[in-house]
This record gives sequence, C-alpha cells and structure tokens, in this order.
Amino acid sequence: MTSQLTTERHALEIEPVFDIDSLNVYYGDFRAVKDVSLPVAGNEITALIGPSGCGKTTVLRCLNRMNDLIEGARVEGWVRYHGINLYDPGVDPVEVRRRIGMVFQKPNPFPKSIYDNVAFGPRIARLQGDLDDLVEESLTRAALWDEVRDKLGDPALALSGGQQQRLCIARAIATSPDVLLMDEPCSALDPIATLRIEELMFQLKKDFTIVIVTHNMQQAARVSDRTAFLSVDVNDRGQRTGRLVEFDTTDKIFTAPSEKDTEDYITGRFG
Amino acid sequence: MSDRRSHFHDELAELEHTMYDVGLRAEHMVALAVSAVVDRNETAADEVLAMDAEIDRLYAATHERWMQLMARQQPMASDLRIMSVLLHLNITLERMGDQTVNMVKLAKATSGLPHNERIAGQIREMGDLVRPMIRTALQAFALRDMDEALLLPAMDEPVDRLNRNMYREVVACGPDQHLLEWATRMMMVSRALERIGDQAVDIGEQVAFLVTGEVREFNDHVDR
Repeated sequence: MTSQLTTERHALEIEPVFDIDSLNVYYGDFRAVKDVSLPVAGNEITALIGPSGCGKTTVLRCLNRMNDLIEGARVEGWVRYHGINLYDPGVDPVEVRRRIGMVFQKPNPFPKSIYDNVAFGPRIARLQGDLDDLVEESLTRAALWDEVRDKLGDPALALSGGQQQRLCIARAIATSPDVLLMDEPCSALDPIATLRIEELMFQLKKDFTIVIVTHNMQQAARVSDRTAFLSVDVNDRGQRTGRLVEFDTTDKIFTAPSEKDTEDYITGRFG
Repeated sequence: MSDRRSHFHDELAELEHTMYDVGLRAEHMVALAVSAVVDRNETAADEVLAMDAEIDRLYAATHERWMQLMARQQPMASDLRIMSVLLHLNITLERMGDQTVNMVKLAKATSGLPHNERIAGQIREMGDLVRPMIRTALQAFALRDMDEALLLPAMDEPVDRLNRNMYREVVACGPDQHLLEWATRMMMVSRALERIGDQAVDIGEQVAFLVTGEVREFNDHVDR
C-alpha cells in the first residue's frame, strides 16, 4: 500500500509502515485527538512534537493499542499497520505489542537481573533459539553490552538512568519487533545519556521503524527524518483536543514550515 | 500573542538594526568615494577610510554576537533564516565598504593626473544609480518586501551597461599617457561600483530567501 505525501513544494511516495487515517481518540465523551492522518515510513524516525495536551502521546499509544488499557478510551478511524487495521476485531493486541515495542519516558526495568530483563519477552513469547545469544545481541544493538557483559546477573535497578533506558531498549528489541515507539525516552536523562540514546536511534533505524514523542524540539530536529506538529484547541469548557497541523520532512519543518502555527511554535511565538 | 523567546527576538532585532545601519553607512560611503574620485575631494576620501574602520569593527562585533546567538539559542524556522541572512548581509556590507576604500585608494593614486569629464560623468552616474539600489535592498530587507527586492535586477542593468562601456571610453582617451593612466584606474573604479550594484542584488536575493525559504538567483549577470 502506498500513501501519497504531498507538500506545496514536492510530492514523495513512501511505503508506510503505519497509515494513520482520520484517527479520533475519545476518553469517555471527550475527544482528545481529532482527525489525525499521517503515514509513518519504514526505517525512518518520525517525531511527534507539540505543546502539552496536543495528543502526541495519545497518538503514539494508538500505534500499539496501549490506549486499550485505559478505561473509557475509544478509537475511531484507522491505524493501518502494513495494511492491516490494528483495531479490527480479529487483531490480537498482545501480538501487536510484540511487533510494535515501546520505550517509556522513565526507564522502567523490572526488579530483576539485567539478563532476565532482556530475556523476559522472548521467554513469554517462547521464541526459539539460544537465549544467551539473543540477550547478547539485544544488548549489543542497544549499545549496552560492553558495559554489562561481566555483570549480567546484577540487578537492573543498579544501573545508571541512561543505562537503564538502554536496557529498556534492549528489552524492547529482544522480541524482534518491527517498530519502536519512544515516549520522551530522554526526558529523565542527563545530556550525555541523551546523546547516547540519540546516537543509538541512528543505529536502530537501520533495523527498525521509530516513532518518537519529544518535548525537546532540538532533539526532534537532530534525530528525526520527518516531523509531525500537533497543536491543541481548547473549547469553552476548557477541554483540550489535539489536531495535526503539519507533517513534512524534518528539514522543511525546522527551516521553512508551511503553516504559521508551526512557525509560531518552533520559534517560541506560540501564544 | 505572547512571545516566549522575546529576549532572543530582541537580540535578533538589534542585530538586524545594526545591519540596516551599516547599510546606510555603506550607501553614504559610495557618495563620498565618488566625490573623492570625481571631485578630487580629499576630505571625503579620508572620511571613507574612517567609516570603513568603523564598519570593520561592527563586522567583527556582529559576527561575534551571531556566533553567540547560534550557540546559545539554536534558532529554527524563520529565526534560522534570518540568522542565515544576517551572516550573509554582514559579509556583503563589509565588502561594499571595502569597494569604496578601493575607489578612494584609486582617487589618491590619480590625484596628480589629468582627467576626462566624460569618464568622470559616467562614474558619477554609476554612483547615482548604485546608491538607490542599496536603499532599495535595505528597504526590502527591513519590510520583508519581495516586490521591492525584485526591482533590483532592473536597477542593476544600467550600471552593468555603463561598466561594459567604460572600456571604450578609456580607449578613446588617445595617446596621452597620463590621461590613459588615469582612465585605466577609472576602469577599476567602474568595476568597484558595478560590484556594489551586484552586492545590492545579492541582498535582494537574501530577502527572497528570508520570505520564501528558497534560495534563488534573480537573474544571470553576464559579467558578474
């Protein structure tokens, strides 16, 4: 399936991993996200940026049905993953989350050993093959192996924050997902640990499609290939509904965005 | 609408104001340099040299401030484009000043030589054409006015034509070696004025980039 991404200056064709189409998300009768449509290209990093309450994390969580776990959450529209609507009744959300892994804002390793954290998913999924090799490979791809190879039995919680986050990335990729969703993965990390994660993302995108939510615009500019800017409308009852303002290549968004709302947000003139 | 980066935007506005001010100085220096050449006005010549020293100082200060803002503020979108344009303008205006210094040096070198009214008249005419170009470029920049910027190529055409014609005027000076020496130097003055005209067009192109985000050449100048 092919989606046509058109901007004023150029049209490009990409084979999307996700085709988000007219997505609306409700919490009870409150609409948190309105009519978001955008494609996510494979082996690229797509960044979702926007002010607090614009629904960027909500959109991200729709991509592996994490919102199913929230009482009263309801999704309208389509999230097609390789052409299959993730919200079709026959789709198994557990399998969805195996293929579409997630890394959260705060590193959240299990209170287990480093080894058991990485081996956890493969054991649950009963993946075939040598578990030791899989743990080493996952830790290597997460750029953590050299730091932990001699202490795999140590508690994961003894690692530094940056190491814990890379462990969570290793844990996420151990089940051989296709996509990594990252919800502000560096917001709890210091600048050096942040740069390590960003460098890691460049490596990971060779094998995975990455969608990242970040409050840090410089981070979006540094790491992403395409950027979606979401804004928020507030109704007279104070309810905030997110909407997509602009989606384009990151180069375009951060040098000459087409929409004034994007321009105002990126340059800090957001009112 | 509140500006959440008002401190940075105030700094940008200040740098922009400095560039505008330097542009006005450059325009005045053109008038003085032409007078130094054509009227043999030594006071004007000295004033150009003094003003150039000040432009050089402003160039260095602007460049330093620009670097600090880039490092500390990491501008994006239109802020990034204005930063790019400011860097370009800083260099272009400093070079305009340098061209007027070249003219003054030629004036000093030819002060004892005979001169030709016809050539002097053409130099004066070129100065009168180039100065409004600088004004127009600055105005287009200050107002982000594409229409104004697009006037510049047409304004540059007679300057280019006069510069091309200067060779014939020099040859027509005949066998008088002293007059020929003066006239040959005037070809270099003509070239300096022609370059200043081109630099004004460059500023117009920067305005177009600022407004549209696209880099473009207004036209191909045959003899640029």
